[in-house]
Amino acid sequence: MEITQELVSEGLRRSHYVTNQRVATAIYLALALDKPLLIEGPAGAGKTEIAKVVAAMLGTELVRLQCYEGLDEARALYEWNYQKQLLRLQADQHQGLRWEEISEHVFSRDYLLERPLLRAILAPHRVVLLIDEIDKADEEFEAFLLEALSDFQVSVPELGTLKAASSPAVILTSNRARELSEALRRRCLHLYIDYPGIEQERQIIALKVPELPERMAAAIARLVNAVRKLDLKKAPSIAEALDWARALLRLGVRELDAPGVRATLGLLVKHEADRTRVEDKLLSLIGRP
Amino acid sequence: MTQSLTAILLDFIGALRDEGVRVSVAESLDAMRAVAVVGLSRGRVQEGLRAALVKHRDHDQIFDDLFSSYFGAALEAQQPDSRGRRDGLVGIGGGSGSGEALPTARSAVRRPAAPTGATEAIPERPGDKRLKGATSREGESLAAEQGFAAATATRPGARSDYADTAGEDRSPRARRRSGVHGRETIETTPFARYTQLEYEQAREILAVLQRRLRQRLGRRSRRARRGRLDFRRTLHAAVQHGGVMVERRFRSRRPRHVDLLMLADISGSVHYASTLTLELIAGARECFRRVSAFAYIDRLALAEFEQGHLVLTPQLDFYARSDFGQVCAELLGTYAHLLTRGTVLLIIGDGRNNRKAPRVDLFGELSRRCYRTLWLNPEETERWNTGDSVIGIYGRIASVITASDLRLLEAGLERIF
Repeated sequence: MEITQELVSEGLRRSHYVTNQRVATAIYLALALDKPLLIEGPAGAGKTEIAKVVAAMLGTELVRLQCYEGLDEARALYEWNYQKQLLRLQADQHQGLRWEEISEHVFSRDYLLERPLLRAILAPHRVVLLIDEIDKADEEFEAFLLEALSDFQVSVPELGTLKAASSPAVILTSNRARELSEALRRRCLHLYIDYPGIEQERQIIALKVPELPERMAAAIARLVNAVRKLDLKKAPSIAEALDWARALLRLGVRELDAPGVRATLGLLVKHEADRTRVEDKLLSLIGRP
Repeated sequence: MTQSLTAILLDFIGALRDEGVRVSVAESLDAMRAVAVVGLSRGRVQEGLRAALVKHRDHDQIFDDLFSSYFGAALEAQQPDSRGRRDGLVGIGGGSGSGEALPTARSAVRRPAAPTGATEAIPERPGDKRLKGATSREGESLAAEQGFAAATATRPGARSDYADTAGEDRSPRARRRSGVHGRETIETTPFARYTQLEYEQAREILAVLQRRLRQRLGRRSRRARRGRLDFRRTLHAAVQHGGVMVERRFRSRRPRHVDLLMLADISGSVHYASTLTLELIAGARECFRRVSAFAYIDRLALAEFEQGHLVLTPQLDFYARSDFGQVCAELLGTYAHLLTRGTVLLIIGDGRNNRKAPRVDLFGELSRRCYRTLWLNPEETERWNTGDSVIGIYGRIASVITASDLRLLEAGLERIF
């Protein structure tokens, strides 16, 4: 499939992903130049969503590798299915096979547990590989990833080198829990996503919760935006704003007023300290034109 | 891509590098390819270059400024509130981005590859003066009219113009520049060169350092958790499977619990380094079983952080001269119960004892009672053992590590485990 900018814009629009030209251009370039795209930004700004949208756009499968502390090659790439190999050995026990034959049996693809990275490399068609929260992984893993991302081939000592038929589209996300290495940054295209502005958020709410009156959507967008500006422990994400909008709709709230907001605030802010803080400022937040 | 556009991009990348944005050769190739595929629309070129060249968010502003001085300011920039809203809503696809073709780039392409000689005449051209003004904020719209042609025409001169204006309004640019490098620079600035300003900059990034330290210390204890193969238990588990060792069992390794006893010299010479360390450790408390933090000059005082302020009980006399021997005696006398086999004794100080008795015997006794003794010296290694420094004597007992800037300090702290 030929990737064009129109295709990317259209794909984003079709997936109801409201965004700006910066995001569209970065996605287009990542696909057109075949480079990994590193997306940074606060939690809940829609980083992971981009990968899903891209997968939907390309009409392909999304392979997700969730990173965490202590993630190692065995969990990310491949592992031999030790139990299955043993069973096979036991079954072969009395057939008097030679060593070469046995090892050929047990070290074949059947006994390989494919983890996300290998699955993405071995996929027969181009898939989208999402490496989520790379900042949570160890530095050692990052170094290993660099190698894997540069040529999309993996050498398994017993099997030889496995090479990708078509290189997957790679998207990495980071919350900046730790600084990523310069080497990784150099190899990726970079995109920073912030929370949307009021107008953009209003559009998102209007698109995803179409039953909500226009005026409410605008009011919600304005309030959520103002809440994010307070110095909170955890700023409300876009998904939380949507949840809140749905809740207000369900409750039949027609006007954003202090009692209504107070009753549903738990959907928006998830820390007690944050809650008191927002409640203190509530009147001025709502009163804003 | 035409010769001249390549040259302009290279020059632009050079200017980015001058501003402290690190751009590798591979990245500049990416930038060329990006421009080749996005087409000559202003918005897309800008975003394409950004994706390929700007890998840190802090560099965004520099990029935007340089982009508008090289390729003319954006049309949106003329709207008063566009600054904050620049990445606001732009219709994707047929939006404003693609509509407004890059007049400037087009003219650049049309022109024969501008020979460098041609630029000598340029300073006399009227457009040039306007460009000079254009680098300042009011002039941005001017630059937009002027477009790229002038910018490219003055290409070799452009940077010096730019430097000139930078001289006029140095402050904001300089400030921003220090912000860009801020983090890295401050991490490698020796404590010896600290003033109140550096100290405050260091405190600003302390949260990041604390988080990093927590992660590193946490990882260390976690990594030790999975031990060697436990043969006995593996055999035992194999009984279930008819003697085939299907499951492997490993010895679990207990995470070591560390009691940290910290002594920080907060006298004038190493004040900044010590307070920063105290605060750093205060943020990584949960990595230890117990943390007892003391500050000392000539006496000991419990050190705590309350809302970012160091609170000492009892208050110390900041005009006193540090006397580590006296401190050792006090520690052994009053706080001996804190010294156990699980204690790591961490000292931050320069070992300048003002020619008072070093009391190595007492220090040796302290060290014997602890699991490990670590001494972080914020002084640069060349200055050790000069003047009244007796770090060499203490170094016979404790392992002394140079911690003359934040980065070294961090590395030193990791050795607690």
